[in-house]
Amino acid sequence: MNLKARRTYASSAILWLYSSFTLFVLGYMTYQAFRSKKELLSNTFGWPEVFNFANFGKLFAEAGFHRYFFNSVLILAATLLIVIALSSMVAYGIGRFRFRFKNGLLVYFLIGLMFPVQLGIVPIFLLIRDMGLMNSQWGVVIVLASGLSMPVFLLTTFFEKLPADLYESAKIDGAGEWTTFAKVMFPLASPVVFSICIIMSVQIWNQFFVPLIMLQSEAKKTIPLMIMKFTNNLMYNIDLAMAGSVMATVPILILFFIFSGRVLEGVASGGIKG
Amino acid sequence: MTWFRKRPFLWFILPGFALYSLFTVYPIFSAFQISLNRWDGIGPKTFVGFANYAELFGNKELFGQLTGAFRHSVVLFLLNTLAVLPGQLYMAYLLYSRIKGHRFFQAMIFSPQFIATPVIVFMGTLIFDGNIGVFNKLLEAVGLGEWTRPWIGLPELGIYIVWMMVAWSGIGVGMIFFLGAMKMIPVEMMEAALLEGASYWRRFFSIVLPQIKTTVLNMLILTYIFAMTMFDFSFILGGVSGGINRSVDVMALFFYRIAFGDNSAVGGTMNVNAMGMGTTIACVMFSVIFVVAVVQVVLTYRRTEDGA
Repeated sequence: MNLKARRTYASSAILWLYSSFTLFVLGYMTYQAFRSKKELLSNTFGWPEVFNFANFGKLFAEAGFHRYFFNSVLILAATLLIVIALSSMVAYGIGRFRFRFKNGLLVYFLIGLMFPVQLGIVPIFLLIRDMGLMNSQWGVVIVLASGLSMPVFLLTTFFEKLPADLYESAKIDGAGEWTTFAKVMFPLASPVVFSICIIMSVQIWNQFFVPLIMLQSEAKKTIPLMIMKFTNNLMYNIDLAMAGSVMATVPILILFFIFSGRVLEGVASGGIKG
Repeated sequence: MTWFRKRPFLWFILPGFALYSLFTVYPIFSAFQISLNRWDGIGPKTFVGFANYAELFGNKELFGQLTGAFRHSVVLFLLNTLAVLPGQLYMAYLLYSRIKGHRFFQAMIFSPQFIATPVIVFMGTLIFDGNIGVFNKLLEAVGLGEWTRPWIGLPELGIYIVWMMVAWSGIGVGMIFFLGAMKMIPVEMMEAALLEGASYWRRFFSIVLPQIKTTVLNMLILTYIFAMTMFDFSFILGGVSGGINRSVDVMALFFYRIAFGDNSAVGGTMNVNAMGMGTTIACVMFSVIFVVAVVQVVLTYRRTEDGA
């Protein structure tokens, strides 16, 4: 079948222009990260006299980039684990079994889509404070992991569509409810789990609001908060801002470009019904 | 115990139900309850009924900040709906028709989604800053030197600069959603249109657009919720005060300023009522979102019923 456009030079040109702009911004920032602070401020567009890894060395040695990185990874990994475990269980419970209030329960999990975390942050802040989890990564993890609406919805749709025979045959083999879920049902859902991981990872990794409110000490902060600390005072920290931005951006984008086909498929499947 | 054993699904649902109820649903109701009190978050609460709401709408300074922030949020929503959404549809359709290089384009256009907001704002500075910005350099290079401005610092441009960053970082998500929806359109339908000689854009308006209507409407409501709760771009660019003359202030930032931030501009009374007034603003934001969301859901529901 040929659904192709007739030769659309203008459209191509627009897409090329737009993509080149994005490439240019990324490349320009990376290039500037190799220059010295003095040159960045006084000779921004001139030919570089210093061009080395000094800013990156400073980022690790003086600013402790690895610490922020570790905090971000900890929050991402723990939140993803909790979200996947809890949402797949909830979705399996709703999707697999028949009981009263089943649809009501699904709607209850869906209304969370209309409650962005910003609106409830004062009570959340008070809860976390009373639990003694203020200024701890686990406070952030709990708050972020409670946003179960999207994963529950996607997984429930998946489990509802699974043929009942699968469940019956596992039962005949003598497997208990948990074994059936963990050994048979959950592995089947792995494509859906994968797309949930992709969508949630982007949100959690770049999460700004919740860590800003929950984490006060430098030792607990995440990468986005680190970058903001540098960009708040560019006269002093423009070298660290450049190197930090590159370290926070370029490795992830390289990973994304390698796997972009699968990643974008995952994102798309999350949006079709949502 | 037997009651539980007969209902094995409860064990699956309970842990998630508890966490979700406590940290996602309960805070909304708790926020409303707190908003009826005068409270600084530590000392004793005093029940004041709807006095906080009366003060929010009656106090000239507070109401001025509220309307200013709300206006900016509406500007963001309108610009996203009138400029970004059509752009997303346009690009998704080009990718759908497999324009040459479509894999590269979709990855490139989506990629800013992976960049943290502080980095995006920093990139904006690198381009639009008065001294080190590339844009001014470009203007000089093409002989428009007298047009150079400290773009980031101009209050009258504030919210539009915010919007440009928001648009650049977020345009890919909607595009990918639309592309996914377009791929679900039955191939026979497109083939039939092709055989009847419908032109490229004719097929877009007569087949593609009606077929992905639900996705577009969903995207519209997500855009609206985003505009009403967007916080990080404005906070990073303008700080807690919302920039010069509050030029980048938005609803969520106004809320943050009252509940957690520096209240000196409002006068002495606010500090002792930070949590009370903060939750009041959150509840106003919630109702602003809720009303529109319900209207949208009802409209979508009615339309799908008509169609069936």
